Amino acid sequence: MLGPDVSWYLSISAILFSIGVLGVLLRRSPLIVLLSLEIMLNGGNLALIAFSRQTGEGTGQVFAISVMAVAASEVVVGLGLIVAMSRRRLPLDVDRLKSLRG
Amino acid sequence: MIAAAWICLLAPLGATLVITLAGMRISGRTAGWIATASTLVSFAAAIIAFAKLLSENAEDRTHLSTAWTWLGTDQYQFGLSILLDPLSVFMMLVVSGVGSLIVAYSIGYMDGENEERRYFAYMAFFVFSMLMLVQAGNLLLLLVGWGLVGLSSYLLIGFHQERPSAIAAAKKAFIMNAVGDATMALALFLLILHTGSLDFGSLTAISTSSSLVINLVALGLLGGAVTKSAQVPLHTWLPDAMEGPTPVSALIHAATMVTAGVYLIARTHNVFELAPNILDLAAGLGAVTLLIAGLIALVQTDIKRVIAYSTMSQIGYMFVGVGVGAYSDGMYHLLTHAFFKALLFLAAGLLIHALAGEQDMRKMGGMRVLMPRTYWLFFVGGLALVGIPPFAGFFSKDPILASALAHGTFGAILWVAGVVGTFLTGLYTFRMLFMVFWGEPSAYAREHHHVGPGRWSREGPLVMFVPVVVLGVLSVVGGWIQVADFWTPVSNFLEVSAPPLVTASGTQEAISSIFAVAFGLVGIGVAWAIYGARRAEVPSAPQLQSALEHKLWFDWLYDRAFYRPSVWLARALYRWFEQPVILGSLREIAAGAKESGSLVARLQTGLLRVYALALAGGLAVLVVVFISVR
Amino acid sequence: MAGNVVVWIVWFAAAFGCIASGIAVVSFRNPFYSALALIGNLGSLAVLYLLLSAEFVAAAQVLVYAGAVMVMFLFVIAYLGGEADAPFVGRHGWQTVGAIIAAAAIFVEIIVAVGESSLSHPAKIDASFGSPAEIGRLFLTDHLLAFEVTSIVLLAAAVGGVVLGHHSRRFDAGT
Repeated sequence: MLGPDVSWYLSISAILFSIGVLGVLLRRSPLIVLLSLEIMLNGGNLALIAFSRQTGEGTGQVFAISVMAVAASEVVVGLGLIVAMSRRRLPLDVDRLKSLRG
Repeated sequence: MIAAAWICLLAPLGATLVITLAGMRISGRTAGWIATASTLVSFAAAIIAFAKLLSENAEDRTHLSTAWTWLGTDQYQFGLSILLDPLSVFMMLVVSGVGSLIVAYSIGYMDGENEERRYFAYMAFFVFSMLMLVQAGNLLLLLVGWGLVGLSSYLLIGFHQERPSAIAAAKKAFIMNAVGDATMALALFLLILHTGSLDFGSLTAISTSSSLVINLVALGLLGGAVTKSAQVPLHTWLPDAMEGPTPVSALIHAATMVTAGVYLIARTHNVFELAPNILDLAAGLGAVTLLIAGLIALVQTDIKRVIAYSTMSQIGYMFVGVGVGAYSDGMYHLLTHAFFKALLFLAAGLLIHALAGEQDMRKMGGMRVLMPRTYWLFFVGGLALVGIPPFAGFFSKDPILASALAHGTFGAILWVAGVVGTFLTGLYTFRMLFMVFWGEPSAYAREHHHVGPGRWSREGPLVMFVPVVVLGVLSVVGGWIQVADFWTPVSNFLEVSAPPLVTASGTQEAISSIFAVAFGLVGIGVAWAIYGARRAEVPSAPQLQSALEHKLWFDWLYDRAFYRPSVWLARALYRWFEQPVILGSLREIAAGAKESGSLVARLQTGLLRVYALALAGGLAVLVVVFISVR
Repeated sequence: MAGNVVVWIVWFAAAFGCIASGIAVVSFRNPFYSALALIGNLGSLAVLYLLLSAEFVAAAQVLVYAGAVMVMFLFVIAYLGGEADAPFVGRHGWQTVGAIIAAAAIFVEIIVAVGESSLSHPAKIDASFGSPAEIGRLFLTDHLLAFEVTSIVLLAAAVGGVVLGHHSRRFDAGT
């Protein structure tokens, strides 16, 4: 195989995943949280593709495509929620939406 | 015959169930007639059983009928069985006969009370319990009947629930009887332990055990008998029990329940004969009681209390009788006592009913003018009680004294006590009679006396008057079925079940009769002098008077020795144990649950990022787990 | 040998692009810039996929993800306008520390997990590996269930989107 080994790609995937985790945990805007979630999913996708290359089977790529489809669906619903929130004049700040506090 | 015995037992129970289940759908009167009818059915059944029993030979007159095995374990079997023998038939006749008269009387006495149905249900239940007691085929069932009569007594003493004094009296009676029940239960435990059964046969089988055990068994049974029959020292509940309605006092606390102790000793005489010291103790307690009760009766002002102490005293005679081994004499006195004591109570009830509930003798006086028929009935009862021939008491009391005389030196002491007792009996009985009936009618009496309509119901409704008359007749002729040594059908009948230990000679009988009647007449004479003709003053002995008025300090003693420490202990336990530990622990548990709940609730911040952080943290931990558990 | 060097250079560029755009997504205040950074991230990832011989996935990534999903994102951000701005976390300092620790822990653990296995000999592949024909064949034979389920998920999302976006008088009349 030309270029770096699969393990290099996997380290990129780990970095992306951790960055995504940080983003989810540290940002207050639901939009940014969704974007960070996308980063996490992409990190996972990269790992899947890398392993698919490692084993020579196409299963990983099939899995990655499914993940992409699911991510798209999730973004649809998430953005729908955010739009609904803004229509109801709720603050777009996850720290202020705490009526489930108990 | 066996069927008749079962019918006799179960008819009153049927009446109780019917009255209870019918509830408000029947009137009080109907409940009364149902109860009366059931006791009459019992009486008829008892007569049939009696007649059938008489037709058999004397030796065959014991029948045990078991309905089914009530409690069965590998080691012990207890059947639901009734025993039909002379002793039980005798008691069945007394209980159902006198019982039906008194229940009929109650229909008139309790008329107008708003809880009549409850009263008649309780009365029928009492008759059933007493019949179970006397018909029990083994000691376990006897104990059941013993407890149930105690319950009925409690329910009926406290019948007027709105009166705190009645409730207190009911509690006192029940708790004191619980002491007797406990000693009886302990005796039964010993019996089972050493003989393995509670049939009446075990009372002879215990003879193989040590004398300590036998004495303990007899002592336990005696404890129960002493409590139920209100003998010293467990007698203080009986005067208070007069809080119940007068027919209750007549039936339970004169004619039947309080005589259960005498029946018990006669029934279990086998074990008592193996423990002669205990028998002597029984006789001794009887003698002490008859004197003490007679003395206390001299200072009572409530007419029912005088009669109550008189009951205590006469049962003392019965205890002397069975204590020296003259079982049939004791039972015979039980029979005549049932007649004249019930008569006195019911006649007093006529008085109380006519005077709108007044029971204080000092407010009565001259009732002879206002209620002449009641006066004559009372007079007959009084003479029968004192034992003047030819009335009933004479024929039953004197044989007891004669048997005591035949019992040796101890018996002679008992005899002296008994003779002095007749003097006291005459004195307090006729004190009561003269105070209430002679002299000028008091202002109170004139004011409150109601005269009934009609020729026969002037002094009370017919349904009340007729039973009293019947009892009056029985008090006159009831004694004539046995005359000392000459004609003894009663003793012959009962001897099969309880052979006597002593037989009095003719001389002893004669001496006893002469002294008893003489002392009785002297007592009547003294009473006439002080209270009748007012020629003499009551002798003043202030200390004695005060002691008697305080009932010889028994109540005071029990109060200090038992009641107050118990209350103190209960309060201390409540304050130092129950509140902090039990209630406190409940509170602590609840508070702890709340606190831990609120601690956990702190996790629910409602902040999305905190939940996400928790997820991430959990993920980190899980990855470590998955890596290490490769 | 020259192809190897070129590949390495491309790899480094794409990797740098990935990581930089990832950090940019998480850091920008303005959500518009974050979305644009994410598009850059997706492009870099597509390059990496190509290096891994997954052509079809790379194309799908650019067309679907960067083309459709991110455009949707940008639409919503434009619609929300100024409301979409949000600063970083303010109070609750312990959450920041906890977040950093958790992320670091996850990173370290993944590295450890991956590093332990030997990944130096990737399998030999032929030219059809990663081609649309191959992916399509796999979807319709070995992974048919995943295919169908994914289509159901897409349907559900579409319905959900419509429901969420439905105009309700109640919502528009006031808060």
